[in-house]
Amino acid sequence: MNKILNIFLTFILTAFFATSTFAATKVVWWMESSADTDPTVQEMMCDAFNAEQDEVELECVFKEDINDTIRPALLSGSGPDMFDTPGASYIKIYQDAGLVKSMQEYADQYGWQDKLLGWAYNSGVFDGELYSIPKNYETMIYFYNKTLFEENGWSTPNNLEEVESLAAKIKAKGMNVYAYGSAGWQPTHEHLVGNYFNTYAGPDNVYKALIGEKKWTDPEFVEAIELLRKHMVDEGYWSGDLETYYSLDWDDFNNEFATRGSAMLMIGTWGFNVTATNFGETSDDWDWNPLPILNSQAGSAPNYQLATGGTMSINAASKNADGAAKVIDWILSDKERALKVTGSLGYGAWLLPLKYTDADFDPNIDPRQKRFLTEFAEASDSGNYGYTTWTFYPNDPGVHIWKDMEVVWAGDITPLEFMEESQRLWDQARADDALVPVGKR
Amino acid sequence: MPKFLTSINAISWYFLFPVIFIHFFVVAFPSILSLLLCLTDWNGFGRINYVGLENFQELFRDRVFKKAVKHNIIWTVMFLTIPVIVALIIAYLLTGIKRGQLFYRLVYFFPYILASIVNCLIWRYIFHPRHGLGGWFENQGIDFLAKSPFAMKETALYAVAWVDMWHFWGFLVIIYLTGMYQVDDSLYEAADIEGATKFQKFRYITLPMIRPIFVLSLIIIIIWSVPTFDYVYILTMGGPAYSSEVVANHLYSQAFQRMNVGYASTIGVMMFFYVGIIVGFFAILRRMGWEV
Repeated sequence: MNKILNIFLTFILTAFFATSTFAATKVVWWMESSADTDPTVQEMMCDAFNAEQDEVELECVFKEDINDTIRPALLSGSGPDMFDTPGASYIKIYQDAGLVKSMQEYADQYGWQDKLLGWAYNSGVFDGELYSIPKNYETMIYFYNKTLFEENGWSTPNNLEEVESLAAKIKAKGMNVYAYGSAGWQPTHEHLVGNYFNTYAGPDNVYKALIGEKKWTDPEFVEAIELLRKHMVDEGYWSGDLETYYSLDWDDFNNEFATRGSAMLMIGTWGFNVTATNFGETSDDWDWNPLPILNSQAGSAPNYQLATGGTMSINAASKNADGAAKVIDWILSDKERALKVTGSLGYGAWLLPLKYTDADFDPNIDPRQKRFLTEFAEASDSGNYGYTTWTFYPNDPGVHIWKDMEVVWAGDITPLEFMEESQRLWDQARADDALVPVGKR
Repeated sequence: MPKFLTSINAISWYFLFPVIFIHFFVVAFPSILSLLLCLTDWNGFGRINYVGLENFQELFRDRVFKKAVKHNIIWTVMFLTIPVIVALIIAYLLTGIKRGQLFYRLVYFFPYILASIVNCLIWRYIFHPRHGLGGWFENQGIDFLAKSPFAMKETALYAVAWVDMWHFWGFLVIIYLTGMYQVDDSLYEAADIEGATKFQKFRYITLPMIRPIFVLSLIIIIIWSVPTFDYVYILTMGGPAYSSEVVANHLYSQAFQRMNVGYASTIGVMMFFYVGIIVGFFAILRRMGWEV
């Protein structure tokens, strides 16, 4: 009887220790939810990771408004092992509060700096250590109806004079110059402000203002805002007039562009997918270009504004940080897989800022999409890039840009007053040490 | 066991304890904390620095806050007049309908049970410049509602208030109707014998008899107007150019967009004091013998 009991206990203890020793480490990742992309991400990232190895078990949890959800979780000292944020300015706050773990040791161990584009890696470095990695990169461009342009003999514009001349021709045809609207996302205003800063004042001046070597009240910035005001309010470039711009949401303006209501669409590169889909239902063809340079001080070649659309980080309270780092390394280690995932999402999400080369692309990729990916990589690597407000601005000045731009358009304050307030908020953010990192230009 | 622990009074407290406990941690404690946070520059995450009354000084310089307070006052005045008058008239007329009254009550009350997002989407669609009424009129060659009233700074606040009133007034109809049914029929019969008109009956019988319910509705409107948020947030986000910004919207923006939690708490404290004054005012009226 004792022998049987001994065998039974030995079996139980062996089984217990075996499962404890060899059970996979569980890593929970809270991601920003998007109904369109969640199933693909679950299948091609989370399930694929779990299928390829058995050391770490990854659980992806998709959350609406991730920033509102993650904040109380982190503050309570719990939360997931890994989490997304909308951008680097949030990471700065988490880092100050000690809520996010430094990933520097993992970056050194796995060589992440060599895998990522330089500017993208630097965007997550605070006080010399890596705290976040961009999940997606994007820039501002404009799409145009190629068929419409060919029918009318229009050329794509390269400078301010050509923009204004083309706009007059488009309006004479009874169409709007650009499709766009803010009903779906009020901060769309900042896309336009960033475009005018980078193509009128120029990226060098924007960089100097970001690091405090220039004032935001300098004439080039004030003039850029004045030009935007003129194009928006006086000329009605976006969807015909200011009030209609305020009334159109994403579906409205994308549809307007695809149905010849507008000739062009000035938007981020997340617009590739929907533009291709919408034009697929018409007989028109589309193409894209970098934004035209509106002033000679902005340089001669078009620049691409740098932007990260969401970041991934490790919770400072995570007990499985090593496992989380393995997940991140798996994601960054296979360019072919990364391109396959983002390709499945129309290159509008999960476009990891890796150092892609021509050889990495699927031969069936849309050549217009491929042109963007390669041109952006070349331009940003050679230093010909600009800065978006939602990646390089601290919170308070960032919100001011899109909230108070409406006040300029309403005529309640002048562009100079707008920029004075901007400078005041920047001074405050600088004094509070709330700035986000800007890599040396 | 000591007798006082098993007395009726003590047992009542046992039953109340869970509610008081939850209320303390979920409502009272955060409220007290908010009172303290208004003296700090906390961003919601990191170190909390004491800044004294700096946030209050800033608040009185804040042009958006001043605008928002003004909008809240306009909002309250609108809600104290338009839906109240309409609801009183409709409720009174409904008392005269014997058949099919339930149908009308259902129709009037229906918007109240809809989620605010649904109400907002309906009206946003109606006022949409492309496929709403404006687009339809344009096709008929009429230049009417070509621009959404939510998108014009002159009309945005009123347009949002209109949608909220459309959703709210049915609620007032129901509570006024309930009050009117409690009025003794013999009063109306006596008035009929005296030859009173319908208006005179309304003025001298109905209105005085439903006064407690009527005053309660006014208190509810005043108090509910202070934290009004959802309709503004969904329809205009306080825009264009802060033309529909209300205090709660400004508070949200400061706390969750600009990460100025200390400053947002200051706004919250001001709202708290304002509601306290209103409640205190009605409490004084009650002490003076008013039936409120």
